[in-house]
Amino acid sequence: MTDPHIDLPQGTLDLLILRTLALGPQHGWAISERVQQISNDVLRIQQGSLYPALHRLERRGWIKASWGTSENNRRAKYYELTSSGKKQLEVETESWRKLTAAVAQILESV
Amino acid sequence: MFNDLRIRLRSIFRKAAVEAELKDELRFHFDNEVEKYKRTGMADEEAKRSARLAFGCEEQVTQDCRDARGTRMAETIMQDLHYGLRSIRKNRGFFSIAALTLALGIGASIAVFSLVNAILLKPLPYPNAGHVVMIWREGPLAGVGDMPFAPGEYSILARSATAFQNLGAFKKDSFNLTGVSDPELLEGVRVTAGFFPTLGVTPALGRIFIQEEDQAGREHVVVLSNRLWRSRFGADPGIVGKTVHLNGSPYFVIGVMPASFQFPNQEGIPSLLDLPRETQLWVPLALPANPRGANELGVIGELRPGGTLASVEQDLTIFESVLERLIPQEKNWASHAVPLMRQTASDARLPVLLLLGAVSVVLLIACANVAGLTLNRSLGRRRELTLRGALGAARSRIIQQLMTESLILALIGGGLGILLAEVCLLMVKNFASGAIPHLNETGLDLRVITFAVGVTFASGLFFGLAPAMGATRMNMVEALKSGGQRSGGSASAPKMRNALIIVQVAMAMVLVIAAGLLVRTFNSMLRADAGFDATRVVTFELPLPAPKYQDTARMADLYRQVLLRLQSIPSVQGTGFASVVPMGGAPDGTVIRMPEHPPVNSAEQPYANYSFVSPGYFAAIGAPLLRGRDINSTDSLNTVPVTIINAALARKFFPGEDPIGKQVGVAMTKFPARTIVGVVADTKQASLREQPDPEMFVPATQNEIKVWPSMQTMQFAVRTKIDDAYIAVSVRQAVHAVDPDLPVAKFSTLSTLVDTSMTADRFSLILVGVLGMLALILTSVGMYGVISYSVLQRMPEIGLRMALGAKRSQIFAMVLYNGGRLAIAGVTIGLIGALAATRLMARFLYGVQPTDPFTFAAVSFLLILVALLACYLPARRAMKLDPMIVLRYE
Repeated sequence: MTDPHIDLPQGTLDLLILRTLALGPQHGWAISERVQQISNDVLRIQQGSLYPALHRLERRGWIKASWGTSENNRRAKYYELTSSGKKQLEVETESWRKLTAAVAQILESV
Repeated sequence: MFNDLRIRLRSIFRKAAVEAELKDELRFHFDNEVEKYKRTGMADEEAKRSARLAFGCEEQVTQDCRDARGTRMAETIMQDLHYGLRSIRKNRGFFSIAALTLALGIGASIAVFSLVNAILLKPLPYPNAGHVVMIWREGPLAGVGDMPFAPGEYSILARSATAFQNLGAFKKDSFNLTGVSDPELLEGVRVTAGFFPTLGVTPALGRIFIQEEDQAGREHVVVLSNRLWRSRFGADPGIVGKTVHLNGSPYFVIGVMPASFQFPNQEGIPSLLDLPRETQLWVPLALPANPRGANELGVIGELRPGGTLASVEQDLTIFESVLERLIPQEKNWASHAVPLMRQTASDARLPVLLLLGAVSVVLLIACANVAGLTLNRSLGRRRELTLRGALGAARSRIIQQLMTESLILALIGGGLGILLAEVCLLMVKNFASGAIPHLNETGLDLRVITFAVGVTFASGLFFGLAPAMGATRMNMVEALKSGGQRSGGSASAPKMRNALIIVQVAMAMVLVIAAGLLVRTFNSMLRADAGFDATRVVTFELPLPAPKYQDTARMADLYRQVLLRLQSIPSVQGTGFASVVPMGGAPDGTVIRMPEHPPVNSAEQPYANYSFVSPGYFAAIGAPLLRGRDINSTDSLNTVPVTIINAALARKFFPGEDPIGKQVGVAMTKFPARTIVGVVADTKQASLREQPDPEMFVPATQNEIKVWPSMQTMQFAVRTKIDDAYIAVSVRQAVHAVDPDLPVAKFSTLSTLVDTSMTADRFSLILVGVLGMLALILTSVGMYGVISYSVLQRMPEIGLRMALGAKRSQIFAMVLYNGGRLAIAGVTIGLIGALAATRLMARFLYGVQPTDPFTFAAVSFLLILVALLACYLPARRAMKLDPMIVLRYE
């Protein structure tokens, strides 16, 4: 396959959203664009999973939503990290690091 | 947590706004995508197409977002509720029949449960009820249990016991109330100062006794019952501090009890204590420092906080050893404690459980009935359900929707049921207020409401789940292929319907047999030989005020004078008195000895009732003398002591010989044995269903024991030649001619006494009878529904049969046969069930076997008849079908 995109592993979507929002409040579309850009187009978030994930994170209280005006002067729903979301981001980042380190170790040793 | 709830609630209650926001949000995303594609140089249409492709199905995303907000469950429920209410509006006929059926079943259950609640479950109306015990003594002889305390024993207990916070004692006493209007005999109790604190009860007005008032000379204070205060003193709010005259002495009224407080009374307490049916007043017991006297005190104790029955038993063992050291005769006696709750509930328990059983059967029948109706309806909706299935609804989702409708139905039925129960209870209260204790305390409380809600939901599940499972078990392809045709229905549905009908018939069978056995019981009680003849007999009680009448010879003389006066009333045919007239209460009993028949071993304790009678008493109540003579007025303390025995005593202790001239006496040999001069027929003493005990009747003029049994009260029986409307007046005049201060108590006709003794039996008979009727009606309605429906379903088949030459009578017979087959299956199962169930009710029966073949046969016949009647209309409808019309519609 020459397609440079890879599907997101299970459970990483929340982490990516939280990390992206750590840079500042964003609307949904900007989040997906940002992830795509930063990962050099390798990671692409399906809209079909992005919005349910946003709503789920909002319900958990890790992000909160407010209506604002977008760059192109339209009404858009902005999400920002709450303080418990910041804590959650740290926790998830830490466990992601541990996981990737462990996986890498195994891959190299075998 | 809070955030979660806020979002969920907002999604439910501000649904439109939330949905609009979601739409806006997705729209914004989509537009941005389109812009992005356009920037890469795509044309407008092309950009939109690509964006849509990238975006995926918008509806799916929206649904996923809704799910993410965690409101799907609530939303589907709202949707189902909405749908359910709409289908109720569209099927008024079905829903009103089903709701009514449920209301009958649930209503009857709630009514009976309210009774159970009031009688068995409700705590007694005093704060300490949970940790008060009643203490009894137990003698070394077999059968001497639950003896009251003697005052001497009680005062030692009060000094030595450590396990109790409070201790109280009480005994019955009667008080002649004079000065207000006619003298009236009030039944009350004398209690120690610890009595009220033990129960933790506070008076509605005034105060309770203080310690100083519980001693001789200072005890002239009285606490009134609420009923007495209302009936006799017009609910005078200033009653406290006033003086009333009891037994000729002034007493200060210090308090009035709340209406709920009626302790002690006869409920559950052995008749040895001889408590009043209703206590009207409380007076201090005022035991002296070294009291003596008979075993006549009831004792209650409040446990210390954290105390247990075990600690009480331990304490009582110590008490017994102290007692034995002080009074050597107490050796081998023991004491035991019974929680007051258990003590006072034991009596009324049984008929209530019978009713509870009966009503659960009715509820089950109602549920089975509605299950059948629901099943029919859901089969009628097969196309709709199939279509939903084809459009992607999961089976669980369809079941959920059908269950929601069932629960709505159950709620409506439950609501109507509560109303119905209230109406029933009002009727029961009017009908039988005296028959069942605590009846007036029934009402809706938290427990009853919990029960009602529970029963409602349980029945909703019961009648809803089976049809929902049955209706949704289908092959989608087959069902859609069969298209608009009505015929079909899953193979399991008719089986389930038939099973429901068989179960209903079987359950109705059991209940109607139970009711039939009670009818037979009642009938045999009415026809049983009571041993006396109640026509034109009036009875009354003559209690002699204690201070004025102490000496037994003087009492006997007074009763004799009253008897002479009564005999001179012109309409009187005969009169006499006894310790207790039939249905007037339980007589005293004693261990007896028969010098000609010494007991074979010492453990044998022949026992007989022992009561006083006057000459002419047996003739007055119409009890025939079988042998020998009546006692007569010449029998006195100076002549040979004589006695009349009843046939039961003769049979038991003088089998196969002539008892006349033989000897019988109380066990204590210091009293001479009595010569038997006559044998009288057995009379029933307390209830028409009892087996008569051996009895000794002793002339009131030959009371050489003096201290026992009490002669303070005698009951008179007066038989008139004709119906005399003024007999009550004449009787009072006769009594007051002897002593104007004497109260005439409990004036009544003997037939009223007999009638009253049957109130409880009549009550359970009527209730079980009504429930049986209900079961029959519900079952026949269910039968009718099922058979009509099957006729409707088989219309094409019936039309075809007719077209092929089947006679109308054959069609009629075929439908009847179908119903009859189900009925016979139900009756057979019902018979087996009844054989097992009626054995449990043996103790409610009298003069009829639990397996009475007549009742079983009659009820089987009745049920089959009812079933055939229920099939008659549908069968006629089937017979009248026009094959042309039916086949044209096929």
